[in-house]
Amino acid sequence: MTADIEIRNVSKQFGAMSVLEDLSLSIKAREFVVFLGPSGCGKSTLLRMIAGLETVDSGEIAINDQRIDHLPPGKRGIAMVFQSYALYPHMTVRDNMAFGLQNIGISRQIIDARINEASRILEMPHLLDRKPGQLSGGQRQRVAIGRAIVKEPKAFLFDEPLSNLDAALRTRTRIELAQLHQRLQSTMIFVTHDQVEAMTLADRIVVMNNRKIEQIGSPMEIYDRPATKFVAGFVGAPAMNFVDATLDRSGGNTKVKFAGGISVQTEIASNLLADSNYTFGIRSEDVRVVPAGHGDADGVVDVLERLGERTLIYARLGDGLQIVGSDVGNSSVTVGHKVGLAFDGKKSHLFSEAGRAWHAGEA
Amino acid sequence: MADQLAMPHTATPAASVRTPSADIYAPQWRNVIFVAPFLFFFTTLLLFPLLWGIWLSFHKADTFSSGNFVGLGNYVRLYHDKVFLQSIWNTFYFVLLTVPTLALIGLFLALCLNRRTRTAAVLRTLFFSSSVLSVTIVTLIWRIVFIPNVGLLSTIYGWFGATAPAFISNPSLAMIGIAIATLWWCIGLPMMLFLSALQQIPRDIYEAAALDNANRWQTLRSITLPSIKRTFVLVVIIQIVLQFQLFGQAWLMTRGGPNNLTKPIVLYIYDTAFRRWDLGMGAAASEILFILILVAAMAQYLVARNKGDRA
Amino acid sequence: MSITAIKGRAFGDRVLLALVILLSIVMIAPVLWVIGLSLKENAELMANPNSVFHAPYTLRNYVNTVGTSSVFLWVGNSIIVSGGLTLGTLILSSLAGYGFARLNFPGRDVLFVIVLFGLAVPEQAVLVARHQIFSILKFHNTYPGLILPGLSASFGVFLMTQYFKAIPKELDEAAMLDNASRFRIFWKVLLPLTVPAQATLGIFTFLGAWNDYLWPLISATNKEMYTLTVGMASTQTNFAQSEGIGFLMAQAVFAGAPILIVYLFFQKYIVTAVSGAAVR
Repeated sequence: MTADIEIRNVSKQFGAMSVLEDLSLSIKAREFVVFLGPSGCGKSTLLRMIAGLETVDSGEIAINDQRIDHLPPGKRGIAMVFQSYALYPHMTVRDNMAFGLQNIGISRQIIDARINEASRILEMPHLLDRKPGQLSGGQRQRVAIGRAIVKEPKAFLFDEPLSNLDAALRTRTRIELAQLHQRLQSTMIFVTHDQVEAMTLADRIVVMNNRKIEQIGSPMEIYDRPATKFVAGFVGAPAMNFVDATLDRSGGNTKVKFAGGISVQTEIASNLLADSNYTFGIRSEDVRVVPAGHGDADGVVDVLERLGERTLIYARLGDGLQIVGSDVGNSSVTVGHKVGLAFDGKKSHLFSEAGRAWHAGEA
Repeated sequence: MADQLAMPHTATPAASVRTPSADIYAPQWRNVIFVAPFLFFFTTLLLFPLLWGIWLSFHKADTFSSGNFVGLGNYVRLYHDKVFLQSIWNTFYFVLLTVPTLALIGLFLALCLNRRTRTAAVLRTLFFSSSVLSVTIVTLIWRIVFIPNVGLLSTIYGWFGATAPAFISNPSLAMIGIAIATLWWCIGLPMMLFLSALQQIPRDIYEAAALDNANRWQTLRSITLPSIKRTFVLVVIIQIVLQFQLFGQAWLMTRGGPNNLTKPIVLYIYDTAFRRWDLGMGAAASEILFILILVAAMAQYLVARNKGDRA
Repeated sequence: MSITAIKGRAFGDRVLLALVILLSIVMIAPVLWVIGLSLKENAELMANPNSVFHAPYTLRNYVNTVGTSSVFLWVGNSIIVSGGLTLGTLILSSLAGYGFARLNFPGRDVLFVIVLFGLAVPEQAVLVARHQIFSILKFHNTYPGLILPGLSASFGVFLMTQYFKAIPKELDEAAMLDNASRFRIFWKVLLPLTVPAQATLGIFTFLGAWNDYLWPLISATNKEMYTLTVGMASTQTNFAQSEGIGFLMAQAVFAGAPILIVYLFFQKYIVTAVSGAAVR
């Protein structure tokens, strides 16, 4: 079973505080959508509104063109995996999975068949007679997912389900979730503040901040063409370099000038821009480390971070500005070294004071 | 926002009343069903009697009928009743005898028995065990201890050729006898309350103190006692509330005698209302007890509420 | 640390130990005395109290207790009253605790404050009026008359409300997504998780009812309806003239032993219950 989900002009307030403002979003059937944003951005609230655990103050939510926001949670045909898993502690795994089906009067035979099928998919038939307290964190996670699967819901909702797992298990579960989505071909909505989870799992990412959607797009769209300065700064590690800049729009492409007299030629069409203050943005991997004097700017290395496949160089420019660039994994650069930095104009971005973005190569 | 679709409006026009969305936490009358059974008993057997008791205290009443309105008459009679005034004094005297002693012995026992040894566990069990006995058994035990000739006390005194003090019949000792039985009966609770407070003191504070070369007395004075100050106040108030309600020990050991010297307020209420059947006056006396206890209970509430401030 | 310091410490420890032992003797000696007396013939006791310390001992007093006194009747009454009150309290408190902790209804918070206020109302403040109400309803000398007043106590509701509040709300939400009704969530999901609180509240209520003296004294005036506490009190009124001290003591041991044994088994719960009730 699968379904498309339509969120139309939805707003939400907690008392006097507004948490979501006039938010619209449509999710296609079989899509894996990730709500990504910092804590407090309203992403979990939106998920809980779809589930029916929070009221919708204005606007509508529809599944398969049927309005569902006035239905109680159980009647919406969706399943949710909670951050804490919310397994019933006194029931065995089997009973945990059967509970929701018994409540709607499904026959014992069908219940057993579905539980067996789900536990086979999740490779946990041996856990069926245990109680949640006897399971490891990863196993509980599986049970929570299994409890959702047996309901054969129109959509799965995940509320930061990986945040209670250790790093290794989180990576493994991430891959399993992706496979599960392939297999079930069901609509899935996944809430997280972890951009790696978002990038790896999503068909589309919905980046949220401060009551609003900042951008909706595929992972690479979000990464390469962030719609706003917030998205640019939030997605990607280390965070994008931002430098206040003035523009030289005399050529077809814009040339940006930093306060210290450094200038960088970008491939951002100048006719798209107006005369005002902009912030120049570039990711660390688009700032190459070259011998001093050979780049757009020279700087002294403050800190080195060796990641293995590449080395992050934190270089301080003459005017005190710190730029993160990258070099090969076995970089010979050391702290205190003077290095040159070459900015890749094809990968540069400009952000207006309002936060709007322009990217290299846009017509 | 490229994905924002211009959706055609559904059948309901935007301006009309929108079906409210489901609210699982909305106030609903049918949810009252869960609290209604308790509220029925709470209202009929606590709130209503409380109000009726106040009403009764302004009337001259017997078991089945409530007679004339007498205004503050019952209270005026109480004010002039030497026995009632004596009973108030007796109650305070009893509280004074028992509460500080209970708090101090309880604290002492808790400090000594707050360790993980088997002996300490057995002794904790022992000191709390008397608390589960009923007042009838406790008074029976202590009357047999205090009784002349065959009593435990007179037997022990007999070994040394002495005569035991007459804790039941001597007017100046009777209340002390009741207090001793009460201490024996009630020591468990203060000890347990102090123990649980002691166990909440983080271990690392003690470790830090040990590293600072604090000796045992210094540790006790500067760490342990300050950390349980609030519990001490709480224990004292709890005991005041409990001991204010003295009845069984006095009724069963001395019948309030000799000369009403061990008659506490509750016994006065019992006597007045259920032996002399002067319900109005009994109700008036019970309102006065209620106010005394309410003051202590409010103090307890305030101390308990301040938990966060002093932790 | 120097050797004298260790010695000083050991000396201090010994003084404390001696004090604790002295207090333990004070706790135990009266009970042993009572047990000793219960094992002696009355005539022998009257002649020489020191005879407790040597043979002959006899079980005659216990045989008499079992054979002649109404102790079994009173124990039966106490079991019915305490058991009924405990069952009722558990049911009412669980329902109301769930209602106050998890459900919303008009006036809920005000009602809860009123229920909390009930904690501060001592039994004595409502005693006279309750007695009159029960006289009119002819409830005196009946089991309901002994059981019902206890059902109005707020403590259980308070305890259960706190306990339900401590259970993560996600469980309710998961159950709602699982299509469970409010009552089914209460009955199948949450109630099984409150067993420790039920045990604490149950034991506390049972113990309180078992040892209650004032209300049964007033309400159960008919010998047939005496609870154990009232019955025991009624026999000790004319002490020396009664069937003899040994007999009285056997009765006391007979009445006290079961509750002490229960205490030894459920010690943990009883201590939690009693301390919890005190601190609230």
